[in-house]
Amino acid sequence: MRTQTDADEPAVETESATEAESTRESPVIRIDGLTKRYGDVTANDDVTFDVYSGEIFGYLGPNGAGKTTTIRLLLGLIKPTAGTAEVLGADIRDRRALTEAKSAVGYLPDTLGFEERLTGRQVLDYFARMRGDERRAELLDLFHPPLEKPVETYSHGNKRMLGIVQAFMHDPDLIILDEPTSGLDPLKQDRMHAFLEAERDAGKTIFFSSHVLSEVQRICDRVGIIREGGLVALEDIDDLLKRSGKQVRVQLAEPVDEAAFVTEEMIDVETVDRTVRFTYTGESSALLEHLVEFEIEDVDIGDPQLDDIFKHYYGDDTSSEGG
Amino acid sequence: MTADTGTGTGTSTGTTTAILRVESGKRIRGSVGLVVIFVLLSALYFSMFPSLSEEMEAIEQAFPAFFFELFGIEALHTIEGFIAAEIYAFFWVILVGIYFAYVGAGLIAADIDDRKMDLTLSNPISRESVVLQKVAALWVPLVVLNVGVATIVYVGALVIGESFDPVALAMVHLLSVPYLLVCAGIGLVLSVIVDRPRTARAAALTLVFVLWVVDAVSGLDPDFEWIGAATPSRYYDETAILVHEEYAIADAGILLAVFLLLVAIAVVVFTRRDI
Repeated sequence: MRTQTDADEPAVETESATEAESTRESPVIRIDGLTKRYGDVTANDDVTFDVYSGEIFGYLGPNGAGKTTTIRLLLGLIKPTAGTAEVLGADIRDRRALTEAKSAVGYLPDTLGFEERLTGRQVLDYFARMRGDERRAELLDLFHPPLEKPVETYSHGNKRMLGIVQAFMHDPDLIILDEPTSGLDPLKQDRMHAFLEAERDAGKTIFFSSHVLSEVQRICDRVGIIREGGLVALEDIDDLLKRSGKQVRVQLAEPVDEAAFVTEEMIDVETVDRTVRFTYTGESSALLEHLVEFEIEDVDIGDPQLDDIFKHYYGDDTSSEGG
Repeated sequence: MTADTGTGTGTSTGTTTAILRVESGKRIRGSVGLVVIFVLLSALYFSMFPSLSEEMEAIEQAFPAFFFELFGIEALHTIEGFIAAEIYAFFWVILVGIYFAYVGAGLIAADIDDRKMDLTLSNPISRESVVLQKVAALWVPLVVLNVGVATIVYVGALVIGESFDPVALAMVHLLSVPYLLVCAGIGLVLSVIVDRPRTARAAALTLVFVLWVVDAVSGLDPDFEWIGAATPSRYYDETAILVHEEYAIADAGILLAVFLLLVAIAVVVFTRRDI
């Protein structure tokens, strides 16, 4: 069985992501020309990429781009129109092999459908019967949904925490997370990110979909960007960081002298009286060094919107496909 | 009924019973609620019977014959005929039949609709097993309703100084099981075909009711009686069982075969479709 080869990997041994990348053997997820059409709508269009053991792979795209479709194809919930994929060595078109492989897969869906009348504990018992729960106690120390209450009384954040616990408690080799931090408060998001990094360092493979660029930048090793069903970019996160830049707004004490202020790392510069808006593509420290030379009243530095990245780096031709 | 399909995934009993357990729990509330309805109905009819039984023969003559044929009513002046007509011919065959169709129609469609099915199928469990465990959980309403209502009717008769043949009473319930399962099977097939649970449920209970009407109306005219052969209620005759102690085992076998066919169709459709 091909799924057995994953057990041979040094799952417990702590290895850094870079080491894991250098030993790229058989991918944990192999996606090959995956296509899903609903009538005239192409939800996934010839998507091809691999995810390797021991990496956090970010699957980035605006809402409705087709991220969830790819994930649901990988889990065998829907069938591809064309192309295929392998998950832990199991072809997604081979129902029996995929069902077996799922014992080593954890899944956190974007919309959590729990049995609402059960308590959190009963929900976990239910999943434990199907695939084990050797890490339940450890996870409940980090994420604590109110276990004795019925799920129907849960807040969005509590449901998400219960979802995280069920996704990891059977100690899977591959965890597929669909917008995992939506609904979590910032503290829990940080905790989640730290937890995912620790899991990655312990050799787990994490497939992480998000529409939030900053989140993907923070924790992912590699990123695939999907737009309108097609994969438009596949690159290391450092390369993406260089390309994406920062969204900056500076309010100066005096009207702006563009010739003195603007450097070549600034693009899309817009100047209105004493306020300058631009996208900065260089190092943050260099920007700060540059700014202190001016008399500044206010500075606002933020992440660019995904749409801006698409506009700058992948063209804004909405009809473009594949890329 | 076995919940495991033997796909090789059910290595532990947990995998093969987790859904069965949760689904069984979900069926308790509805089943108990229906038993309570039958307690109230029985109290009403049993308290009416002593005063009505004397007038029943007059009533039987006053109404045109087709009225009784429509409901398959006979011997209203006996406790067997009266209860067969009032409790079983109407409430058991239609109300409980519709309940099973309604539950069956929700089994798959409701889970797909609220995305529960996504999480369920992320487990190492086959789609066949999901369907079969959900169907197997129908043991709860079958046991609760059959034991509950049989006890109510038996005790109720004793209370008013009448009595039922316990064998005939047991058979009226036992032989209704395949009929109720067919109703659930009709719902189940709709549940895997129709996307919206409300539509599936409405279609299932309408279909079960219409099939009963077709059976009842077609029975009025010998020329059209053959049409009723395609309706499940034709294969379950509560009056024949209670009044004449005729047990149509072969008819029950036909219903059971149809139920298994409906489950097989549902499994095949569900394993092939997107959710």
